[in-house]
Amino acid sequence: MRFGFRENFALHLLEGNTRRSFSASGQVLSSRGFHWLCGVVGLALLLPGLHAAEETLSKEEIASAVITQDVTIPTPGEFFAAMDKKGQPNWTQIFAPRPPAATASRDQMALMLGLLVADGYIAVEAQDGQGVKNVGKDIINLAKKLNVSQSVLGRGNSISDFAENNDWSALREELEATQNEVKLSMVEQKDNDLVILVTIGAWIRGTQVASAFIEKNYTPELAGLLRQPAIVEYLLGEVDRLPEKMRSQPLILELRAKLAAILPVVETKKRAPLTPEAVVELSSAMSSLVESITVGSKEL
Amino acid sequence: MKTALALLFTVGILSAQEVAPPAETVTTRSRALELAGAFANDGYKIRDGFWSGTLEPGKPQFLQVNLFAGNEYWFSVASLVPTAKLSVGVFDESGLPVQGEVFQDGATAAAGVIADASGKYFIRLEVAEGDKAEFCLVYSYK
Repeated sequence: MRFGFRENFALHLLEGNTRRSFSASGQVLSSRGFHWLCGVVGLALLLPGLHAAEETLSKEEIASAVITQDVTIPTPGEFFAAMDKKGQPNWTQIFAPRPPAATASRDQMALMLGLLVADGYIAVEAQDGQGVKNVGKDIINLAKKLNVSQSVLGRGNSISDFAENNDWSALREELEATQNEVKLSMVEQKDNDLVILVTIGAWIRGTQVASAFIEKNYTPELAGLLRQPAIVEYLLGEVDRLPEKMRSQPLILELRAKLAAILPVVETKKRAPLTPEAVVELSSAMSSLVESITVGSKEL
Repeated sequence: MKTALALLFTVGILSAQEVAPPAETVTTRSRALELAGAFANDGYKIRDGFWSGTLEPGKPQFLQVNLFAGNEYWFSVASLVPTAKLSVGVFDESGLPVQGEVFQDGATAAAGVIADASGKYFIRLEVAEGDKAEFCLVYSYK
């Protein structure tokens, strides 16, 4: 395994690459910062590489691990990057967004917003600039209905600009930044309970796309990517923490039931990949949930 | 290559002595992003999400992440406390260390791994030497 960290770091600095990706945080490294960083890297280059710690984590240490939605839950982009390495998905064919249905339910809108974010990643994989722009517009329109702050609306312009320039890498970061900004805005307006629904929506759509592809192109390597019991457990736990009023809504009831049903499907022993039958079951559950989120849930 | 590195080192030392960035414009997150930005040349995408907090000497903290088999990851952490030497380690779901590459330079550190199986992993952060420090961790993947 070769990462070539030092070479990359030096090249990064010598090129004066002050990070386009700082757009995600709004921070830009100044030329003064660049000189300062040169000092740091100069020292770093002389340090020998260190090796990973050898000791094993204790049960207590594992139990104390923090789970944070913004970092612990992977983006659809990470999922798709792994799929690209193990198969050759035809993203253009896969990209088939459905315009969000009109609904007065804020829960459903939050879930739809998550679906759209994942659709944005699919459009990026398909390198479909117009598709990304359309999804970006849908995200912003839905965000407006959820009364998110003005700062989120500016993200729509950034998405459009990056799509115009075919800057796919920046688009991946911008999509996640947009999603995070929507969530932050939800927290600010005391809509905390909607935040997890955005995350769940994005995860469901990503998993639906992946499982549908793997169902048709099964290999153990691809099926191994669907082994995500920790994520399902976490999402189930978060759904159970929603207020009773929300949990009793048909869509949330269906969501919880389906997540609970797929937990044993994605939980395999000894890191084994999902079986072809398990992939079919997962794909069916995810497609059914996407349908319910898009058009509304049937009463259970 | 050696000449270029030596020159970079010399220029770097002089620059570090003469020009320090104004403290108010630097945050732990921007410092962590600076470090993670080094991997962008190699095609790594940086996650917008981050994990921040305060690390105390002798009290490591752990973060659960979910990685995908075959993806390559760098976990970059930074602090603004120059006397805090940070370290990062990656462990699989059983708590066994994952071998990879580790970078450490005072108040910044990074660990790079390739996930060999999809699922749960743990990141361990600690102050290896020095003082209590606020930190921020970001990660990048390809």
